[in-house]
Amino acid sequence: MSFKVIKPGFLTTVQDYGRLTHGEQGLAQSGVMDEHAYAWGNYLLGNHYFDAALEITFGSVELEALDDMLICVCGADLDFKINHQAVDIWKSIQIQQGNRLSWHLPRHGIRAYLAVQGGFETQKLFNSRSVNLREHIGSKITQDEVLVCQASIDLLDRFIAPNYIPNYHQEVVLRLLPSYQYSEFSDDQKTLFFSQSYTISHANDRTGCRLKGVPIAIKKDKMISEGMSYGSVEIASDGLPIILLKDAPTIGGYSKIGTVFSLDLAQLAQQQSGAKVRFELMTIHQAQKERLAFNQFFGVGANSKSLKI
Amino acid sequence: MHKIILAGESSLLIYFGNKIDPSLPRNIANFANQLKKHFSESIINLTPSYTSLLVNYDLNKTNYQQFKTQVSELLEQFSFEQAEQISKVIHIPVNYGFEVALDLEKLLAEKELTIDEFIHIHTSQTYQVYAIGFSPVFAFLGQVDEQIQAPRLATPRIKIPAGSVGIADRQTAIYPVDSSGGWNIVGRTVLDLSLNDPKNLDKFKIGDEVRFYSISRDEFIRYGGRE
Repeated sequence: MSFKVIKPGFLTTVQDYGRLTHGEQGLAQSGVMDEHAYAWGNYLLGNHYFDAALEITFGSVELEALDDMLICVCGADLDFKINHQAVDIWKSIQIQQGNRLSWHLPRHGIRAYLAVQGGFETQKLFNSRSVNLREHIGSKITQDEVLVCQASIDLLDRFIAPNYIPNYHQEVVLRLLPSYQYSEFSDDQKTLFFSQSYTISHANDRTGCRLKGVPIAIKKDKMISEGMSYGSVEIASDGLPIILLKDAPTIGGYSKIGTVFSLDLAQLAQQQSGAKVRFELMTIHQAQKERLAFNQFFGVGANSKSLKI
Repeated sequence: MHKIILAGESSLLIYFGNKIDPSLPRNIANFANQLKKHFSESIINLTPSYTSLLVNYDLNKTNYQQFKTQVSELLEQFSFEQAEQISKVIHIPVNYGFEVALDLEKLLAEKELTIDEFIHIHTSQTYQVYAIGFSPVFAFLGQVDEQIQAPRLATPRIKIPAGSVGIADRQTAIYPVDSSGGWNIVGRTVLDLSLNDPKNLDKFKIGDEVRFYSISRDEFIRYGGRE
């Protein structure tokens, strides 16, 4: 089963749940930017939670199906069409050999996920199919490339209840755990951080998201480098936050005011520069409760021997 | 002495000290092995650095309070003095010629050293891997002799060729792939440390020892070095 790439788009890469076990070797986590949309794509196809999908950023992509397949598109509305006909997303779709799948422009969110039953079968590197351009691991899809995937086995007809489809247009609230150097920031610094509405800058990619706003005055900017969790929020020398995302380096030496809850980062992954975000405090208890419910619903981490050291 | 703090919804950070100390990397590596042994079911990822260890755990198996307590108990039992020896020594051939040592001439002038004196100082030290990061296979090595330590360049280079050996303050390192960076480049190795050879991922481990040795320009080119 496979697709042929007619138009590769701006930034289209194969991603899965990530390269989770290689921190000792300096390898980034990598993996999908929007875990929520990706999880639904695999779920609706009856896939394993870490089956690889295509992450399409902004669109301008066209693929030709070389076989009949069961697919699902979730995440951003990039004006998805099959043979020039608009098609609903967030549902399983049976496609035929010769069908042309295309994504045009971002209308709602910026990252769409093409999941296929059984997942994409690109080369696994260090236990994951996730491409990380910063680390020179894998590459963007290219014109005329053939993307191989598993053979579809079932004829499922599944869709998401409309009220579960996220609204990417609403103001993003990033709930923050008081982690790392949180207690070293003064009350005034915290008040400034939590009370303002930040703007996503142009410096926002799979590595990190730099925010614009009123700078926080900081005393010491550099500290001894330490391991950085997905979603940790560095306050750089200029007093502005950088949220570290999937392709971020494993260690770094700026003070971190906290860590954003992973499922809120899924919302952030759908925002363009210019969008507004603000932060709100969250307890570890609440974060673990919500994430555990997500894991259990989508089977994340279940029977996952391959994720263990 | 030890401190455990929250790092994320499924991660915690253990501090083993609050300043860079040559005894820490090996202790941290040993404790990481202990953790793997005791909690193989619940640990997903470990990221050691100079003074700390980031631990990602499986939220499906444990939670912050429970895991923090368990880690803290293991820390109390852990004997840092009797830690097993697990490190290896890695030898790196380096051409210190000015064709590839982009900042060496300037550095020698500043330090009032001859090239032979510089090579002697850089190669007579046994360095320790303090951290791996910035990019995969990039090992931060310490401590560089004070006579040849040098601050980062004011303006980082856009492109440093793969294999370049750099110095920044009291650290030295090898760039595994072409990258941007602000370290003073003092030589280049013939070794390919990129992930083109996937085995390179395990080339350096925290606590390992590294020694550099000097090779001539002829040897460098004969072994496939690029100028």
